[in-house]
Amino acid sequence: MGMDRTISNFIRALRNAEVRVSTAETLDAMSAVELVGYKDKAHLKRSLSMVLPKTADEKNTFDACFDQFFRFQDVRGESTSNSENSGDEDGEESSEGGEGGGAGGDPQNQNRGKKKSKSKAKQNNLYEEEEEADLGPGEVTDAHSQLGKLLMANSRVELAQSMAEAGEAINVREIQIFTQKGLYARRIMDHMGLPDLNREISDLRTDSRVPARRLGQQLKQRRDFLREQVRDYVEQQFLLNADVSGKRLREELLRSVKLSNVEHRNFRLIQEMVYKMAKKLSTLHSRRRKVFKRGQLNVPKTLRNNMSYDGAIFDLYWKSVRIDRPKVFAICDVSGSVANYARFMLMFLYSMDEVMPKVRSFAFSSDLAEVTDLFNRNKIEDAIAKTLHDYSGGSTDYGQALLDFKKMCLDDVDNRTTIIILGDARNNHGEAHAEVLKELYDRSKRVIWLNPEAKLAWNTGDSEMRKYGAYSHQVEECNSLMHLERVVSNLLRQTS
Amino acid sequence: MGDMEKVAETVASLQASFEAHRYICSDEIATAVFLAYQLRKPILIEGPPGVGKTELAKTAAEMFALPLIRLQCYEGLDESKAIYEWKYGKQLLYTQVLKEALGEVLGDAKGFRESVEELHKFGDIFFSEEFLEPRPLMKAIKEEDGCILLIDEIDKADHEFESLLLEILSDYQLSIPEIGTIKAAAEPPLVFLTSNNTREISDALKRRCLHLYIPFPDVDIEQRIVAARVPEIPPALQQQLVAFIHELRNLDLKKSPAISETIDWARTLVLLHAEALDANMVRDTLNVILKFQEDIENVKGEVSAITAKVAR
Repeated sequence: MGMDRTISNFIRALRNAEVRVSTAETLDAMSAVELVGYKDKAHLKRSLSMVLPKTADEKNTFDACFDQFFRFQDVRGESTSNSENSGDEDGEESSEGGEGGGAGGDPQNQNRGKKKSKSKAKQNNLYEEEEEADLGPGEVTDAHSQLGKLLMANSRVELAQSMAEAGEAINVREIQIFTQKGLYARRIMDHMGLPDLNREISDLRTDSRVPARRLGQQLKQRRDFLREQVRDYVEQQFLLNADVSGKRLREELLRSVKLSNVEHRNFRLIQEMVYKMAKKLSTLHSRRRKVFKRGQLNVPKTLRNNMSYDGAIFDLYWKSVRIDRPKVFAICDVSGSVANYARFMLMFLYSMDEVMPKVRSFAFSSDLAEVTDLFNRNKIEDAIAKTLHDYSGGSTDYGQALLDFKKMCLDDVDNRTTIIILGDARNNHGEAHAEVLKELYDRSKRVIWLNPEAKLAWNTGDSEMRKYGAYSHQVEECNSLMHLERVVSNLLRQTS
Repeated sequence: MGDMEKVAETVASLQASFEAHRYICSDEIATAVFLAYQLRKPILIEGPPGVGKTELAKTAAEMFALPLIRLQCYEGLDESKAIYEWKYGKQLLYTQVLKEALGEVLGDAKGFRESVEELHKFGDIFFSEEFLEPRPLMKAIKEEDGCILLIDEIDKADHEFESLLLEILSDYQLSIPEIGTIKAAAEPPLVFLTSNNTREISDALKRRCLHLYIPFPDVDIEQRIVAARVPEIPPALQQQLVAFIHELRNLDLKKSPAISETIDWARTLVLLHAEALDANMVRDTLNVILKFQEDIENVKGEVSAITAKVAR
């Protein structure tokens, strides 16, 4: 039972660190643990790493999580085996607030792993140097404060329980980021009655009676021990409940932040998110496409193919709907002001090659060039970097870009083609050549214009949005991942 | 059977036994096979091509003295190729025979209804096991004393095919609409799936398997692999060769040389009576370890430097 709880707590910590673990895998992990046991940590880790994490990313997370989690387990395992009152039933109660509360109680009888006991010995020395000589064993007076009594009562179970109660009372489960650890530890100590205890300790120090001073010393030691306990408890709660890497919070923010404001250090994360979104959309739409595939019986073909069986019909042939892969042209303004949007849009389009119809992409600032090949040959990130580098110089000229596009591809545009144009339509007061867009509009299935500017700013200054908007089937504001996701999802719905 | 249990009793005994069959494996690999055997779970093996994924299954078969049933995946693989097919020819032949004997069978049945009732008594003989052509998965399930089932390069098959596998992977059984469910014999097959990661494997499939990632081995293990596979190689050459390969893996190549290439290269150099690596000889034999002209061109310039580095 205790074993199972350890593993299920570990799985909780894993899930919290974004490793997906199903119930079936939890059961597998339990049988694996039963088989290999807890003794050999390396063996346990290797075994669990085959049962729980299933991708390279998850394995990395798993490694870190395992080390962190079982570091505590180590300490606690030791203390449990050394202590005489192992108090199993109460351990259960305390574990409602988390396993962290497992150990506690008498600091002198229970050394908590080698490292800690050494540091404590050091502490003791310091203490003795700074105070008068060791008062030795002997009579001590009774503690008065509540926490003092608890500490002197020598019951690790009660202590753990009290710690868990304090944890509940101050909602330690709501801990979110690692910087809050100290704060929560302090709150728990306060809730357990630390101020009273501190007062008592300082009073006792100046007391004239030896047994009272002795009590003061012991209380101080036990308080320090308790502090470590609480810190471990909070750490455990953090692993179990918090957004360990701070990633979730950042992702939440990044979803709606304007893409031009994304800082460079967040690119990786955004990219991950784009892939994740792309994957989600992929599965969503590939499923839909399968429904299309269901056909009716193809009677002529069935009969023809079964002729050799003397007319007995064995082999059935089905009519299937052939899906003509529609084409998508993506034309991206990559000049300075819009470059970042182009980056993420291209990333999105090319992350979805499994379900996305064939995408051809074009980049321009003044002149337009096709970059499809670049994307086919290189990794997405490299291709994007190169595109931005090569084509982002020069002042934006939408008119010229449209003319170029017409010259290059007008013949390829037909009634199954979707054209996506990403840009702010700020033409530097040049010739707009909206008539070219009209031509494209007439020939293609859809023209979608994505403008990263806020709607209010459209048509102000040199923006030609009004003219271009007239020849687009759909005009959207698009400046965050959320917008992108919506646009691409709609696109898939309409193209497949 | 007892032998098999003894071999799979601990990770160490497995490792030793693999080594006896000239397959040098890391702790991870041995642990995976150990768990797979003890927990009766399939293993999904991922990793770059040429690190010995398929070899692992083959060696396991040899080691446990079990038959190896292999299903090579490809695009368009479906249940008629992987699970079963009806023997149409046989069915047809029997229909003809039945036609002839129909009069007898129907005997003195009067009227259409009675005839049909009479026919119904024959039930579904045409769709019984006698008319079933088992394909690899079905064969593996029916193998009495267990077997090793290798589902190779699952990433090459379509998404839909993965769903077909779920039943056999989790319950070691197959459902055939016309017959019912066929369960594995007392000893279910030990299943190995391999993937080169050309696409993501679905979560549903991953959930049912242990997941083993085999990376390129470290220097120590690779040296032992070369020594096991090409025992006649001079020790100096063996060390330099492995070090050279490891240097290459650090370069930005289109395709890094895998273990299979290391072994091929070792064999080549032994044939050429090499005692130690020599820049000229390396240049001449680069095509054994590098499979793209582009890579060969890139590496050619570095050969002298790397050879000198590993010779030390």
